[in-house]
Amino acid sequence: MKAPFSRFKVFGNSMLPTLKPGQDVLVFNWAYIFSRPKKGDLVVVEHGGREIIKRVQISSGPASPRLRRASRGTFVIGDNKNCSTDSRNFGAIDKSKILGKVIFII
Amino acid sequence: MVINFISKLLPARPVYAHCDIPCGIYDPHMAQLAAKTVLTMVQKIKELDSSASPQNDNVNARNNFVRMVMVKEEHAELCKREVLILWTDYFKSEHLEKFPDLHDLIWQTAKLCSENKRGVDEGKAMELIKAVDEIAGIFEQTKK
Repeated sequence: MKAPFSRFKVFGNSMLPTLKPGQDVLVFNWAYIFSRPKKGDLVVVEHGGREIIKRVQISSGPASPRLRRASRGTFVIGDNKNCSTDSRNFGAIDKSKILGKVIFII
Repeated sequence: MVINFISKLLPARPVYAHCDIPCGIYDPHMAQLAAKTVLTMVQKIKELDSSASPQNDNVNARNNFVRMVMVKEEHAELCKREVLILWTDYFKSEHLEKFPDLHDLIWQTAKLCSENKRGVDEGKAMELIKAVDEIAGIFEQTKK
């Protein structure tokens, strides 16, 4: 079983203004063992062979039919919507790909 | 306090708040410029056509004609490419919800690019400029 906490350093601008490049976050890796991600959670996700940080927009299927068609999992999005590659591009992600929830911005 | 202490003990790994494409590189200006160039070339080709006479039907005149057609061809293609880049890489589903005719507009614009390659028609060149301006207008609204 993995350790309960991980610390990450943010690279990139897609989570501005919430997270600036160079900021550290503390992640609780056990957050979703018994529960589902909730709208608004900041999560670390494994995608394309690396770890990315995004915000959960919806985890039970988006409201829009167009988005719902592409989504069977958790829809994550960057806070800086004009500068973010996220579920709008690569679709919803499986819960197993969510590594943990940000619980503290250092 | 405890969280702060735990944080300091842990090594920091990189996590990417990523964007595949750097911000701000999308711009409809290139497509607008290309569409205007198409119109200018159409007008210049028409001018050549109306001034055709045995005197100006020499190698230089033919060279000019070929160059104008070539520039029209290249810029119609460039316009199509720029519009399609905006469509595939910039516009997202949330934009489509706000502008439901976007797919059709892009499709019609790409077709206009092809029509401008095939023919020498001032009307079609103006239609292309109008369509690209409309896309640029949508682009600007998505930036607000």
